Amino acid sequence: MSDIYPGFEPKILAFTCNWCAYAAADLAGTTRVQYPAGLRIIRVMCSAMVHPNLVIEAFERGADGVLLMGCHPGECHYQDGNQKAKARAVAIEEVLSLMGIERGRFRLAWCSSAEAEVFACLVRETDEALRAVGPSSRRKDASKYSKSELILCL
Amino acid sequence: MSLTLCSEALSGCSGCEMSLLNAGGPSLSLLAGFDILHMPILMDHKYFGVGGPTQQIDIPKAGVGLISGGLRNEQQLRIAEKMRRQCDIILAFGTCAAYGGIPAMMNLFEDEDLFRRYYRTAEGTDAAPDPLQVIPPFLERTFALDEKIGVDFVVPGCPPHPDSIASALESILEGKSPQLPLVSVCDSCPAKREGKGSVQRIRRFVKNARYQPDKPISEMRCLLDQGFLCMGPVTLAGCAGMNGGPPRCIEARVPCRGCHGPVRKGGNQIMDMLNALVSNGIDTKNLADRLSLLRFSGAHGRLNRRSV
Repeated sequence: MSDIYPGFEPKILAFTCNWCAYAAADLAGTTRVQYPAGLRIIRVMCSAMVHPNLVIEAFERGADGVLLMGCHPGECHYQDGNQKAKARAVAIEEVLSLMGIERGRFRLAWCSSAEAEVFACLVRETDEALRAVGPSSRRKDASKYSKSELILCL
Repeated sequence: MSLTLCSEALSGCSGCEMSLLNAGGPSLSLLAGFDILHMPILMDHKYFGVGGPTQQIDIPKAGVGLISGGLRNEQQLRIAEKMRRQCDIILAFGTCAAYGGIPAMMNLFEDEDLFRRYYRTAEGTDAAPDPLQVIPPFLERTFALDEKIGVDFVVPGCPPHPDSIASALESILEGKSPQLPLVSVCDSCPAKREGKGSVQRIRRFVKNARYQPDKPISEMRCLLDQGFLCMGPVTLAGCAGMNGGPPRCIEARVPCRGCHGPVRKGGNQIMDMLNALVSNGIDTKNLADRLSLLRFSGAHGRLNRRSV
């Protein structure tokens, strides 16, 4: 895919739960599955312990995208943590839209500890989507990147 | 000891100054301590841009600068910057100065929407041309003071309780930092809480709360427990002043509207409130007036023109 915003490398922050998504990221590493280098992972014990303010703060500090990853529904280590995260995601999306952060920059996803390929795929998808949307307006260097002229001509 | 004081009212309603004048007894001792040099809302001091003879904004040097109102246009921004240069201590006075306040709700709309709705179309008044000749150019949105100039202390409230104003000014006179409460409205509210989990749905406040008028607030069931959107949990305490009474809206048996801004500096009232509701299994999608959760704190980029 040609670059829409030349030179732009999306910064993605992922909150991954210790029991599934982080294990999947770990497995992706040991089995050498490739995924974009712009990902920063923060391990949390459960997706439900990610307070929405943490997601908001990430965006306020210039993250291009935030991924919140937990176990598949029904497989939460703490019974229903991922259901709580799902309920909160609705509220997070609403507040982000008020803040003028585009839909799609925040994503809630599930993957089990064996799904290294699913994890990598989710990150790749997010990375590609963000490359198309461009840098977040809250990024300090957002003005550095502009849409390539080639794309503007089309 | 006496301090000099300058005051400006920017994008606000001058209610904060009303509250200052309402301070009663304490205001007399404050008048002895402060030498007011510049306060256009109370005294006649002409300065450039507001009818004065000089070519620049003519605000005298002072120890304390009291600014109420946020920043909506270029003139207000220049005045605020001048105040910062002339005053040693800047006090953001009231919620508009601290968090944007009511005028920051405009951040959801374009200036174009404003002109169309309030000038070009007539609802009760005659249609008029855009007032571009008589008002200074708009900034891109409404800002809180601390987004543009340094702010030393904050006295939130819409308006702040006279006690809070008096105590803040008194501590400055004594050379101390004014202290804000560290707790939420709920912490200072005597209403009876009967535990989480009983509320399934949050209703609009179109029907009165259940209470017995002859009984005190401590006999009334918590309004959030009763299913009303009360912003007590996400709002800074202190609206009742220093006498330790119940929060002012609760005392009037209506839900808290959140006028004291977030509990924690940089907090986001709508996020905290929605989070509290959804975490307890309450569906917030049906909450008709949930945008009002940012009624008082829409600056700092909290409210933006709707993205696609």
